[in-house]
Amino acid sequence: MYFSINSYLRRLRSTILGILIISILPAVLFGINTQLSEQVYVYSLKGLNVTRNIFPEIYSQFFYSMTIFFTALLIGLLVSLTLTFITTLLPRFLQRMIYGLLTLFESLPDLFIVVLLQVCIVALYKKTGLLIPFYNDYNNPIYLLPILVLSIVPTIQLYKITLLLMREEQHKPYVTVARAMGLSRFYITLKHVFRNILTSLLQYAKTIFVFMLSNLFIVEYVYNLNGIMSLLMITRGAAFLVTALFIAVPFSILFELADNYNASVNKQLKEKNAA
Amino acid sequence: MILKLAKQPQLIIGLTFISSILVFSFFWTDILQVEKTEALKLMDFMYDDEGKIIDHIPYSPSEVPPFGTDLYGKQLFYQIIDGAKYTILIAFVIAFLRIVVSVGITLINPRANYAFLDDLISATLTIPTTIIAYIFMNTLLIKSSMDGKSTNELIFLQCLVLIGIGIPPLISTFTREIRGILDKDYINNTFAIGARKSYVYYKHVLPELSTRLILIFAQQMIQVLILLAHLGVLAIFIGGAQTLVLGDPMNTVLQDIPIAGEWAGIIGMSFTKLQAAPWIILIPLSCFAVTILALNLIIQGIQNSVEETQKL
Repeated sequence: MYFSINSYLRRLRSTILGILIISILPAVLFGINTQLSEQVYVYSLKGLNVTRNIFPEIYSQFFYSMTIFFTALLIGLLVSLTLTFITTLLPRFLQRMIYGLLTLFESLPDLFIVVLLQVCIVALYKKTGLLIPFYNDYNNPIYLLPILVLSIVPTIQLYKITLLLMREEQHKPYVTVARAMGLSRFYITLKHVFRNILTSLLQYAKTIFVFMLSNLFIVEYVYNLNGIMSLLMITRGAAFLVTALFIAVPFSILFELADNYNASVNKQLKEKNAA
Repeated sequence: MILKLAKQPQLIIGLTFISSILVFSFFWTDILQVEKTEALKLMDFMYDDEGKIIDHIPYSPSEVPPFGTDLYGKQLFYQIIDGAKYTILIAFVIAFLRIVVSVGITLINPRANYAFLDDLISATLTIPTTIIAYIFMNTLLIKSSMDGKSTNELIFLQCLVLIGIGIPPLISTFTREIRGILDKDYINNTFAIGARKSYVYYKHVLPELSTRLILIFAQQMIQVLILLAHLGVLAIFIGGAQTLVLGDPMNTVLQDIPIAGEWAGIIGMSFTKLQAAPWIILIPLSCFAVTILALNLIIQGIQNSVEETQKL
């Protein structure tokens, strides 16, 4: 319905070409070969004179990153929807205040949130002796904190978007009709408004994915997670290409779905306007 | 237009904040009546009244108000004031040039489809901008250390990289916008009457684009600031770094010190010592946050005024 293999392959080809250009361009521009050795899939660890093959570890790194990513996305979605639902039942001036606060939170750089939480957790440990694992050592991947941190940014963004959508939706005729019929605000919001919002929320999927991928990198770097993004940073040449493809192939499907969905929505809107 | 914008309180707050920071940053030695070398000197041990050593660097904000010192004993407050002008001006110049270059490229031929640009954009969706910038900057740093480039030359090249990274997505946005304007009827008529292309671009397209341009400019500044902060954490400094040798002769420690005093450099210099002295990282980061907030207020103000004009 929303997906065609041909157009996906076209997008994938374009992405691969783009990654190729990006991985070659520094060497072309500055005249330095950044690939460290003759072996193709090899990268070297920072500060150590050890080279290491990206296979087969890349699979576990990939799944680790994706677990964090999608759990965080899910949590962000759930939390923001619940918060929106609670907000709509609040009086008008409180809604205004929450909206203003959200603009404030949105301006916080993701780096600030990540670092602040790390400092807070150490302070908490010093005060109470309660230790939430906040730093990866090589063999024990941590899940709780990165998921929590990564879910903050999409939560704020989704919360703001749904609030805006909610505001538009609540002035539509069908809500007025339902109110006139004597249905409660709680019931209308839950049964009717929410469903409509969920479909329009999909339009913003792409922006949120892009934001979260960039955020994932910062989380992985600061918390020293052994994930795909930190691998992407230290690899060069062919290893970089392969690592980037690990991210690009699945995410292109998601982008393709989101784009096709948007196109179909826009088409419907145009037909409606024409009629 | 300007009168309407002046009525938006958010816009005025944002603009006054940023301009006052800039003015303060340029003239702080005169305003605070301090010598620059005196203010930015390295502090030594802290003595009590009897001359006993009671503490050593880094001092926390409670010991040396208001912001404490960094790992080498420079007062963070003066460093941040002094760095504000570099940070904001770098972001300003890069955002401005990104927009000028991409509008220029788009106006050469607004109907053209650049296939490789689409490729680059679809790739940048999956690879974070920070990583792309890191790859370029890292190579540039290796190259410049091999060739022995001067600081100014390095800053120039780094700015070129930062500008270049932002251009492909901007070209695609502007292509869409400008095509939308060129498809309007009155533009067709102007061409039919016999206007030259440059006249139409200058008289019709650019004025119609102006509010969008200002909005995109503010957004670009935010993006550049965030990118600078990220690069700072990755220990890539604008203007390169000077390597200091610290520690005793038996056990030397090499430490990179950024040459230009911008905020990202302060963050990156001591990022590995986050747990020892968290304020050195958190205070510059919150300065970034406040600047971004001011820019967001400006964006909000412009959007409000545009909405109001559309309602009328």
